[in-house]
Amino acid sequence: MTDRELMHRSEVAVSVELETPDMTLNIGPQHPSTHGVLRLIAKVDGERINSVEPVIGYMHRGYEKISEVRTYAQITTLVNRIDWVSGFANEVPFILGVERLMGVEAPERAQWIRLILTELFRISSHLVFMSSYPLELGATTPLMHVLREREYILELIEGVTGGRFHPNFNRVGGIKPNYGGGSKTKKQSMDLPAGFFSELLSAMDRMDQICEDIDTLVTGNEVVKARTVDVGVIPGDKALEYGLSGPNLRASGVAYDLRKVENYLPYDQVEFDVVSRQGGDCYDRYMVRLDEIRESVKILRQAIDIIPAGPLQAKVPRVLKVPQGQVYSRAENPKGEFGYYIVSEGGKMPYRLKIRSTSFSNLSILPWVLQDQLIPDLVAIMGSLDFVLGDVDR
Amino acid sequence: MTNQPDATAESDASSLDEYAADLTEKLGAESYTADFDTVRVIVDRAKWVDTINKANEELPFFSWLSAIDWSKETEVGDGVAEPDDLEERFEVICRLSSVTDEKAANFVTVVPKDDPVVGSLTATIGGAEWHEREAHEMFGIIFEGNENLIPLYLPDDFIGNPLLKAYPLIAREVKPWPGDVDVEGLPEANDASEADDGPGDGGDS
Repeated sequence: MTDRELMHRSEVAVSVELETPDMTLNIGPQHPSTHGVLRLIAKVDGERINSVEPVIGYMHRGYEKISEVRTYAQITTLVNRIDWVSGFANEVPFILGVERLMGVEAPERAQWIRLILTELFRISSHLVFMSSYPLELGATTPLMHVLREREYILELIEGVTGGRFHPNFNRVGGIKPNYGGGSKTKKQSMDLPAGFFSELLSAMDRMDQICEDIDTLVTGNEVVKARTVDVGVIPGDKALEYGLSGPNLRASGVAYDLRKVENYLPYDQVEFDVVSRQGGDCYDRYMVRLDEIRESVKILRQAIDIIPAGPLQAKVPRVLKVPQGQVYSRAENPKGEFGYYIVSEGGKMPYRLKIRSTSFSNLSILPWVLQDQLIPDLVAIMGSLDFVLGDVDR
Repeated sequence: MTNQPDATAESDASSLDEYAADLTEKLGAESYTADFDTVRVIVDRAKWVDTINKANEELPFFSWLSAIDWSKETEVGDGVAEPDDLEERFEVICRLSSVTDEKAANFVTVVPKDDPVVGSLTATIGGAEWHEREAHEMFGIIFEGNENLIPLYLPDDFIGNPLLKAYPLIAREVKPWPGDVDVEGLPEANDASEADDGPGDGGDS
């Protein structure tokens, strides 16, 4: 046999299609890139993912059941811990829902404090994404750099509420009362601490700077672009079908922001833009969050000028009994639409509390979006959805 | 709309009522309520899937799907206000909303307890799969057409449907929650003299 013939034969042998069954690859639940206890069962054909089945529930704490045996005042403590990166923002729709059922309205200043803290938590939540996402793509510098800047935001939050992660600062009709005093003395609400606005302003200057830094460090980076542009594309109609909200939805060309459509806090008195992009890929989801930090900074600067003086607590009975009724109260959380369906039968505890958590819906698109993707893109796509497992498992 | 003056709040309420009535008529649904800024459209169980699909054209955002267990007797928490008049049933709720304005509606269908079956939305709304799986494991409702009704949160060998009112909170059975007893005596609920004190902390000390 000549060399030429031999070469031809070997080529034939290589190009024969061998029957190869799909390999099952188990990822998690203790994998660092899964942000917690998420397990993925992937069926892979070489590098290609044929199907993926997320397994959740490792952190299921049964909040909806526990809420049926907790008073309304106690539930705000629980809901802080659903999405722990944006604890305060979880309280807001719940408190607003209870207020709506009771016909109570918080005084204007209390509403503005809620708005300020919500936006601070939005910046904080997006900064967590800005630090962890580049890490998942292979860059280690932004992690420490951005987390350090986030401390300035957390310190502001701590200065107001006393807590960095779980402020439990909302009360029906107002905000948290000060410590001290017995049950018979009139309680004073906690107000913004002295010097808060100047600290806020200097923190906002830092945020402008960190956005610039992230831009030069991450946004323009060639590797980041290669790994995110046109990767994990979610078209707008699919995003709506799976209930994606927040930056994930707005990156797919749907400029839907509850701060604009639902007047739940005085957002109509500040000027800001709804950030949206058309591509629906990982890069756009990243860019939307980065630009949203800038918008939040804009909102906070305006809030300082607008926030009125005045009382912080509306009149409510000491023991909360919520009239019979059903209400769905929603708000734009850092990660998207967060809502509570409160069913009250007139008691001290809700008859049923359905928690619409954002990450649950945002994650449910994973089997669809990961199909036919490559294994190396899996972490990039998953990270770009910015979920928190406590928010998925509730 | 918490920070609207009363006059606009009233006109909002009536326009919401109108919207709910229009929606109900257009979809051929049974009835509606529009209390507390929350539109509820009651749909016949047989028309559940068709109605949602039709509504989905105008309200493209699938927000969530869940259920309520209306039960006379409860193992946990406060029961219903008037147990004698209650018709025991499940209510399956699906919420859809618009993405250009504030319009949204909760679609509700009544599912009897002795035949807890309702059509699945997964053929047209992929995102409903997880929500239906959750409602299946928590309430025991069967969604006909959802091929993948395996447990979502609960372990595979878990017995029972935890969100049923008849399902006890096991931790409570083992060690009763001290709750109110643990803290200083609470005043009466409608004690007017305390009314401006702000809400009590209800025993979270």
